[in-house]
Amino acid sequence: MKTSIALPFALLLSVAATAVSADEQTELLFVRRIAPLLHEKCLACHGNDEAKISGGLDMRTLASMLKGGDSETPGLTAGKPKESPLYLAVTRQHADWSPMPPKEADKLDAEQISWVKDWIAGGAPWLDEARMQAIAKAHEAKWSLEDGTVMKTSGGLSQEWSNRKYKPDGLWAYQPVRRPDVETRRQGDEERNPIDSLIAKKLPAGLEPAPAADAITFIRRASFDLTGLPPTPEEVAAFVKECGGEIQTKRVRENADTPSPGLIISLSSPQADKAIASLIERLLESPHYGERMAQHWLDVTRYADSSGFSNDYERGNAWRYRDYVVRAFNSDKPYDQFIKEQIAGDEIDPDNPELIIATGFLRMGPWELTGMEVEKIARQRFLDDVVNSTGETFLAHSLQCARCHDHKFDPVPTRDYYSIQAVFATTQLSERAAPFLPVENTNGFEERTYLEKTLAEHEAMLSRLDAVLLENAQRWFKDNAKDPTKWNTAVEAASKPSTRKQGPAKRLGVYSDLFSAARIALTNAGVLESDFPPKFVGFTPEQFGLERVARKGLERLRWELDRYEPYALAVYGGRTRQYKTIFTPLRVPADRMTMGELEETCVLPGGDPFGSGEKVKPGVLSVLAAAQKSPIPDSIEGRRMTFADWVANAENPLTTRAIVNRIWLWHFDQPIAGNPNNFGSTGKKPTHPELLDWLAATFVEKGWSFKAMHRIIMNSEAYRRSATHPDLKTLADKDPIGTSYAVFKPRRLTAEELRDAMLIVTGELNPMLGGIPNRPEINLEAALQPRQVMGTFAAAWTPNPLPQQRHRRSLYALKIRGLPDPLQEVFNAPSPDFSCERREASTVTPQVFSLFNGQSTQSRALALANRVVKETRSDEEAIARVFAITFSRPPNAEELQSCIAHWRDIEALLGEEVPAAQKPLLEVRRDAIEENTGEKFSFNETLHAYAEFVPDLQPADVPAHTRALADVCLALLNSNEFAYVY
Amino acid sequence: MEDNQMYRRDTLLGMSSILGTIAFNSMLKADDTQPSSLNIPPSASLLQPSFAKAKNVIFLMMEGGPSHIDTFDPKPMLEKLHLREFVREEQQISAMQSGKRYYVQSPFKFVKAGQSGADMAENWMHLAKVADDICFFRGCTVDSVNHPTAMYQMNCGNRFGGDPGIGAWVNYGLGSINQDLPGFIVLPEVSYPQGGSANWSNGYLPAKFQGTPLRAKGSPILDLTPPAGVSTARQRKNLDLIAKLNTEHAAKHPGHDELAARMDNYELAFRMQMQVPETLDISKEDAKTKELYGIGNDATDSFGRKCLLARKLVEKGVRFVQLYNGSWDSHDYIERAHGNLVRGVDQPIAALITDLKQRGLLESTLIVWCGEFGRTPDNGVRGGTAYGRDHNPNAMTIWLAGGGCNAGHTIGATDELGMEAVEGKAHIRDFHVTLLQLLGLDDNKLTFYHAGRFKQLSQFGGTVIKDLIS
Repeated sequence: MKTSIALPFALLLSVAATAVSADEQTELLFVRRIAPLLHEKCLACHGNDEAKISGGLDMRTLASMLKGGDSETPGLTAGKPKESPLYLAVTRQHADWSPMPPKEADKLDAEQISWVKDWIAGGAPWLDEARMQAIAKAHEAKWSLEDGTVMKTSGGLSQEWSNRKYKPDGLWAYQPVRRPDVETRRQGDEERNPIDSLIAKKLPAGLEPAPAADAITFIRRASFDLTGLPPTPEEVAAFVKECGGEIQTKRVRENADTPSPGLIISLSSPQADKAIASLIERLLESPHYGERMAQHWLDVTRYADSSGFSNDYERGNAWRYRDYVVRAFNSDKPYDQFIKEQIAGDEIDPDNPELIIATGFLRMGPWELTGMEVEKIARQRFLDDVVNSTGETFLAHSLQCARCHDHKFDPVPTRDYYSIQAVFATTQLSERAAPFLPVENTNGFEERTYLEKTLAEHEAMLSRLDAVLLENAQRWFKDNAKDPTKWNTAVEAASKPSTRKQGPAKRLGVYSDLFSAARIALTNAGVLESDFPPKFVGFTPEQFGLERVARKGLERLRWELDRYEPYALAVYGGRTRQYKTIFTPLRVPADRMTMGELEETCVLPGGDPFGSGEKVKPGVLSVLAAAQKSPIPDSIEGRRMTFADWVANAENPLTTRAIVNRIWLWHFDQPIAGNPNNFGSTGKKPTHPELLDWLAATFVEKGWSFKAMHRIIMNSEAYRRSATHPDLKTLADKDPIGTSYAVFKPRRLTAEELRDAMLIVTGELNPMLGGIPNRPEINLEAALQPRQVMGTFAAAWTPNPLPQQRHRRSLYALKIRGLPDPLQEVFNAPSPDFSCERREASTVTPQVFSLFNGQSTQSRALALANRVVKETRSDEEAIARVFAITFSRPPNAEELQSCIAHWRDIEALLGEEVPAAQKPLLEVRRDAIEENTGEKFSFNETLHAYAEFVPDLQPADVPAHTRALADVCLALLNSNEFAYVY
Repeated sequence: MEDNQMYRRDTLLGMSSILGTIAFNSMLKADDTQPSSLNIPPSASLLQPSFAKAKNVIFLMMEGGPSHIDTFDPKPMLEKLHLREFVREEQQISAMQSGKRYYVQSPFKFVKAGQSGADMAENWMHLAKVADDICFFRGCTVDSVNHPTAMYQMNCGNRFGGDPGIGAWVNYGLGSINQDLPGFIVLPEVSYPQGGSANWSNGYLPAKFQGTPLRAKGSPILDLTPPAGVSTARQRKNLDLIAKLNTEHAAKHPGHDELAARMDNYELAFRMQMQVPETLDISKEDAKTKELYGIGNDATDSFGRKCLLARKLVEKGVRFVQLYNGSWDSHDYIERAHGNLVRGVDQPIAALITDLKQRGLLESTLIVWCGEFGRTPDNGVRGGTAYGRDHNPNAMTIWLAGGGCNAGHTIGATDELGMEAVEGKAHIRDFHVTLLQLLGLDDNKLTFYHAGRFKQLSQFGGTVIKDLIS
C-alpha cells in the first residue's frame, strides 16, 4: 500500500526535476504564479465579496472567467492573449480595456504580465484545489528557494495570506543584524574607520572621494550638527590654531583672490585628527547637544504643547517631557533604557517622577474627546495612534496598514496589530501627579499672574452678563404678561450665600450664575418651560459672543494654569472609565483598578471600533517573536514593561537598525534606509546595508550609547569630506542620486537653527536650559489672528514681556498645533500632527517675505549691528567682525569694500528721521461671527503680558550709523552662506 | 533621483512651468531603481485630457456645517413631528444622540426653483435664479462628527490633518497657469477656521503646493512688504548686496543648484511684493459688477468681495481658489443664524455664477459649495424657540456648478427625516475622486510616494460618482 501511494508523488518529483512538457509547464505556471496573482491582485473586487462583484466579472473559476462580466466578452480566450481582456487590461496599454488593477501602485510588473501572457498562450489551464496543492507540495523546496520564503507569523485572516511568500529583498529589516567583517587595515599599519571601509566598498569605480573640508567649514558643520548652533569666532580661531593654522581677524588681506590662512587649513594631518577628536568631545559635553538631539527626537514623536483638533487645549505639562528628552541625550542615557522609560516608565518605577514624565511619549499624538462624539471612538483613536506611533518611532514600522486588514506587503497580520493594541488596552490618559525634580527648571512660574488677570476678567464678565439676563427676565415677564413670582423667589433663593455656588464642579472660576440657577430650580419644580424665560433671554449678538468667550475662556485657562503645577502629561494603568467629554485635566483616580471596564481587545474588522472579531492577548510583532524573552502578562499593569523589553532587546533588528539609521541621517542629512519610519517592503531599501548593520551591531556593543556613535561617525573620513567635489562631471555620472558619500551633502539650516543662529550671533540668545515654554514675538498679524476653537476663540499670542524670556532656543517656544509660528512653518518646521522622519528643505517665496521683510530678522540685524559697533573701533573692523560672527571667516577685500559702500549708501538714504519706537499692544479688538446668531460681533481682549513689555532694541535707540549697518547685517543674515551648512 | 533634488528649482509660489510638476517630472530622466522616482508617473497621461471641461476650481467652504434640511433638502415630515420627542433605535455612535431630544422642523419655507425645479429654501432668493446651473448632491457621508477632523477630511481627505489639501493635489496634477501667482489661493475669514492652516496644507507634497491664504484683514500675505519706513530704493539696494554676496558664494560652491534657486527667489519676492496688491485691487471693477456681488451692502459686502476676487484670480489663471464663510455651526436659533448666513452669501454666490457665465468661464470653472458635514433633524434639550441643529456626518448637501457638472439635477436622497443618506449614497472619498475626474485627473494615478507608501487624495481609492458629471 505505502509504495503505491508514494508512487505518484515520486513520479511528479522526478518529472519536476527533469524535462516537462509545455502543457505541464503552463500548469505549473498557474499554480506557482497565476493563482496567487489572481488572489492578490484581482479577487478583492472580482469574487471575494459575492454581493459586490466589480463590473460583473467573477474571477474565482474558469467558467465564470470565460462567461465574462458586464461587457459580455469572455474574460480570456485560451491560446490568444492578445484577444483576452484579462491580458489587455493588465498591460494598461489598451484603449478598450481600462487598466487593471485600477490603482497605479498595484500594477503588475513586466514579469507578472509575461506570466499572464504565457499562461493564456499555453491554453489557460485551471486546476482544482487538490491538484494545486499536490503540485505546490511537490515543488515546495525548489520554489521557495527561488521565490522567497514564507514568514512565520501569528497568522493572517486567510490561509493564503499566512502562506504567502516574500521576496528576500523586502525582508531585509526583519533579518537578524549581522556584523560584517570589515577590512580596516590599509597600506602601512594605519587603522581605518570601519565606516570608511564600508563606504569605500560601495564607491562607484572611477569615482574618487572629495578631499577633506577646510577647518572652518568643518567646525561649522560639527557645531550645527551637535548643538544646532554656529561656533563663535573665538571657537573657530582656537580650532584653526589647533589644526595648525591661524586666522587674520584684525587686518583684512589686500588680495581678494588669496583666501586667508584659516580657509585652507587642511584636515589631513595627525594634528587635525587630534583637534577634531577634541572638538567633538567638547561639543558632546555642551548642554546644547541635548537640545539639538531632542529636536530630532521630538520631530519623530510629534511634540506640541496643545492637543489639537476642536478645542486645541493646551497641554500645560508637556514641557516636562521635552526636558526629559533633553536630559536623556545630555546624560547619554542608553537607548534601550530610553525606550523602556518612554513606553513603560510608570510601570518600571511609579515613584520616580522622571519615569512618569517619560511616558509623555505615549501622549504625543493629537487627541480630543468632545461632547459631540462617544468615548469609544475617541478611545479607539488614542489606541490606534499609540500603536502606530510606537511602531514608527522605535521599530521604523508603520503599523496602521494592519489596522483594517492583514498587511498588504509586510509580514504583519492584523492580529498582531491588535495584539500590540492589547498592550495598551489598560493604558489610561492622565495629567498625573509628579513632583518637580531638582534638575527641572521651574523658573518663571510667576507669569501665571497674567493668566489670573484674564481669569478675573472672565469671571467679571460672566457675573455682569448674569445681571443682564436677570434684567431681561423681568422684561420678558412683562412682555409676555406672565407672573414672575415663582421666578423671583427662585432668584432670591439662589442668591443666598448658603446656596450660592461656584461654577459647576471641576470648572474654574467664581461668578454669579443666578439666572441659570433659577431656571434649573423652576425646571426641577415642574414649572412649564413656557412659564419662565428661555436660556440667554434677550441677549444681543454681542452678549452671546461675550458669554462664550468668557465661559469657554475659563475652560481653556484650566489647562494653561496646570503648567505651573507638579503634574506630568502621562498615563496610568487601569480600567477604562466612561467620560462624556474631557474639558479639564484628568488625575489618576483612586479606584483605577476597580472602576470601569477592563478592555478585552479583539480584532476589529475594517478598523471599526464597534466591530468584534477574534479576541487577542497582548503581544508583539510575531515575525520577530524570537526577540521576545517573556510573555506579556494579562494583568492590568506590566503589559507595557514586558512589551518594551521586546522592543529594546538587542535581538530586535528593527529597533537597532531604526535608531542608527536616524543617527546617520542627523549627520549626513540622508538616511541609509530612505524611510526612517518605514523599513517595510514598500520603504526605500538601504543604500549601504552592511554599513547599517555594522552601525547597529556597534551601537549595541557600545552600550546603546548615542555619544559613542557620534564619535565614530564624526571621526570618519566620510564625515570630514568637502561639500565640493573637484570633478563634478565624474561625480554626476557615477553618482547621479548622491548616495556614494564621495562628497559631503550640504544642507539648509532647519527653521529652528536659523532662528537660533540669528539669536546667538547678535548675542541675544538666552542659553538657559528647559522650563516652561516661552513665547517669542511672532509675526504680529499672525499673533492677533482670531483663531476659532470649539464654540469660541483662542486667546491671542502674547509674547513674554522681557527680551531674555523671548530669546530662548526655538525648542522651547510654545507649540500650539492650531497656531504655528509662520517663520518656522515656512522654513519647513514639521506639523506635529504626523511623525516627521526627515526634514524637508524647500525654497518658496514666503521664506523671503519672512526672513527679509519680517520684523524678527530686522530686529536681529539691528542687534547685530549694535553689538559689532560696540565691539570694534572702525568701520572696517566692524564689517570684519560681522563676517567673523555670521560666516565664521573674515571678508575678502571685495566683500569688505562692497559692505562699506553699502553701509554709507544706506546711511545717506536714512537721513535725519528717527523711526518711531514700537508701542506695546495692550488691547486687541476682535471681529468675529457669533455662532448662535450668525451675526458679526466684536470683543476686546486685554493682553496682560504686554503691560510689562520691554521691546527688543529699537531703531530709535541707536544712531543712524548703526541703523545703516543693520542693513548690511540684514543682507548677511539673508545670504546663502548663512543659511547653508557645508 | 532624490526627492528634494527633484524640486530644488521649484522656487515660485506658483510654478516655474506651465506644466504640472508631474508632467514636468516625467520629462526628466527616471531612475527606476529607487521608489522615489515613482513620484514621476509612468506616463504624461496626467496632463489634462481633452474631455475634462473644468480647468479651475472655486471651492466655497461653509465652515461649521450648513444644515441641508434648512437649505436644499426639504423635510415636510418634520413639520408633523415638530418638537415631538426623538427616539433613537440604533446603536449610539454620537454623544449628541444622548439625552432628551426633539424633532425640529425647518423655519424656512421651500420653493421649486428654475426649470429643473430644484428644492431651495425661499431665502436663497438670488441663487434660485441660477438654479438650473447647479447640480445638488444629497448622497455624501463623512466619518467625523467634530469640526476640525471633519474639515480635514473634506479639505484633505484625511481626518487627522497633515495631508495635502485638494487644491495642492490639483496643482500637483495640473500645474499653475500663472507663473507669478500661487496656484492655490485661500480666502479665509478674518478668523481662521477650526483646524487652522492645516486645512490648506501641502502635506507631504512639495511646499510650493501649499495654499496661500490672502488674509481678509491687514497684509494679505504675511510680511509681504518691508517694515514701515523702508523705501523701495533701500530695499532694492539691500537685495543687490544679498545678490552680490550670493554670487560670490555660489562661485565657491559649484554644483549646488539650490543656491541659485534661493537667489532667484529673492527677485521673485520683490516682484510679487509689487504685483500682489494690484491683483487684489477690485476698485477698478465697474459699479454694476460691484453691485451684482452685493459689494457696499453691509450684509453681503464681505463675501461679495471674496467672490469677485475669486473670479479675478481664476481669470488670472489661479487653478484653485477656496473661500471660507461661517461659522454655520447653528446649534441654536437656526432661523436667525442660518437666516443671516444665507443672506450673507446668497447674492454673492449667485453673482459669481452669473458673472462667470457671462464671461464664458463657467464651463471651465467648477464651483463647489459644501460644509464639513450636514446637521441633524433633531436637537437636544434646547426646546422652545432657541432650537437649532447638531452635527450630522451621515447626511448633507453639496452642490456643484459649472465645470462639466450635471447641472439641473439633484442626485441622491436622504431619508424622510434628513437623518442619513439613503439613495446614491457615497463616501466623501468618492466625491473627491469625482472632483478630480471633472478636472481630468485620475485619483489612482495622482499619487505621491511618501514615508514608504503611495498616497492619494482619496486615501485608499474611491469610485467616480458618474451622476454628478454631465
